[in-house]
Amino acid sequence: MSHNDTHHVNYLIVFLALCLFTALSVVFDLLSFDNHAVTVVLVMAVAVAKALCVMMFFMHLKFEGNWKFILLVPTTILAIGLPLALMPDIGMSYYTPMTPQMTAWEKEMAAWRAESGHGSGHGDSGGSHAAGGEQHGSGGSH
Amino acid sequence: MTSHSVHSAPTMKMGIPVPNAKLGMWLFLGTEIMFFTAFIGSYIVVRVGAGSLWPGPEDTHINVFWGGLNTFVLIVSSFFVVLAHAAMGDRRYADARKWLWLTMLLAVVFLGIKGIEYTGKFSHDILPGHIPETPTQAIAKLDRELEAVVRERLAVYTDNDVVSVDRPSDLASLVPQLQAFQQGGSPADSDMDEETAAEYRAQVEGDLRLYERWKNLHEHRVANASLTALPVAEISAYRSARNALVEGDRIPELKLGEVHEYLEDMKADESFGAAVADGVHDPHPVLYGNLFASCYFLMTGFHAIHVIVGMILFGLALSQGPLLNERWVDWVENSGLYWHFVDLVWIFLFPLLYIAA
Repeated sequence: MSHNDTHHVNYLIVFLALCLFTALSVVFDLLSFDNHAVTVVLVMAVAVAKALCVMMFFMHLKFEGNWKFILLVPTTILAIGLPLALMPDIGMSYYTPMTPQMTAWEKEMAAWRAESGHGSGHGDSGGSHAAGGEQHGSGGSH
Repeated sequence: MTSHSVHSAPTMKMGIPVPNAKLGMWLFLGTEIMFFTAFIGSYIVVRVGAGSLWPGPEDTHINVFWGGLNTFVLIVSSFFVVLAHAAMGDRRYADARKWLWLTMLLAVVFLGIKGIEYTGKFSHDILPGHIPETPTQAIAKLDRELEAVVRERLAVYTDNDVVSVDRPSDLASLVPQLQAFQQGGSPADSDMDEETAAEYRAQVEGDLRLYERWKNLHEHRVANASLTALPVAEISAYRSARNALVEGDRIPELKLGEVHEYLEDMKADESFGAAVADGVHDPHPVLYGNLFASCYFLMTGFHAIHVIVGMILFGLALSQGPLLNERWVDWVENSGLYWHFVDLVWIFLFPLLYIAA
């Protein structure tokens, strides 16, 4: 009950840590690793660290009783469960290249890329799109 | 009452050992986690599903600098809220008010940066349902936008009674009247003096040319026939070209590349080029662009609403002015919890929207 007196948090240090983490995620973005997934994993890890800092110290959860688990564990499980539950049906299957809209899109984009002498910038991104489609095909067939 | 239960057992207390107000706020924040999970979780799912096909920064105009700056702004504001709460606990109410005012200021800065980003999205038409995802859709959008420019230019003549048509949107009857006016016909408004009529007559030539250029493109698009292969898009020309086809041949289809060149050529025109450049967006397809725009506006929009609600909560405490006292300690603490939660949401939105995209 005496959650108001004993804990002495140096908020400035927490704040500086948060600033450092923010700078870190921008640095990870600027490093632009060959595999973009590495960047995503790193910046998400930094985000989790920042969230823990805010929740533990700014929101005083470190100093609260065990009721915090009663309140937060169920909602956290549901929050993680929602994307996981949607992932097989939507995230992993919906965008397979076998669907009619993807077939039509690939056909049209291939014709567009075949055009010569225009939109070289778009031509580049079109090339990466084609590569993405192939990666996708191998992912979808598992 | 009976005596046996009075001193024996420790008093039973209902609930959990936390003030009601704080319990209420944490329960509310639990529902808020689920609220944002619906959006963020769905975004993660569609983002993972799209893989490398997801639009990049050159198409989404996402800028890590603005997102990072806004992250910093919210972190500083969270720090100020913590200082305000600490000051309230120490009965330094003037200090608390100072930190709360600074928090309000940072909230305004956050929304201002958000406004700059939204303005960019609107001016580039990066809006749900507005983004062409295939070359065909890009051509169709260009056709629509060009038609809007044409109608806007021609509305000048109907609005000012140079010509008179029952329905100003009726180009089929408007254009012949304009042509007659250009060739020396008198304006519909008989009171118009000669000088004004001459001014309209001088500019009608360019606008009719704009109309012809759009109509040419429009007919090619409807027929899906190449602009260069069939320079004149009269239906008869198209039909005879089609009839002359040997079996197995086909009319060359309309391609985005030639439409692009056609548009650039129109933009170079000195009488209507500026209006075309102003009213038509650079046509290029962005696969999943609409999905991106929906996710972006849904998540950042609801987050911005939360920022505004937080400002109202702090604003109510600040409205007490010098009367802010110990009765507001719980208010500031719980509003602070809410504010930190808003900060938490942004902490996840920043990497997900600005870096993972």
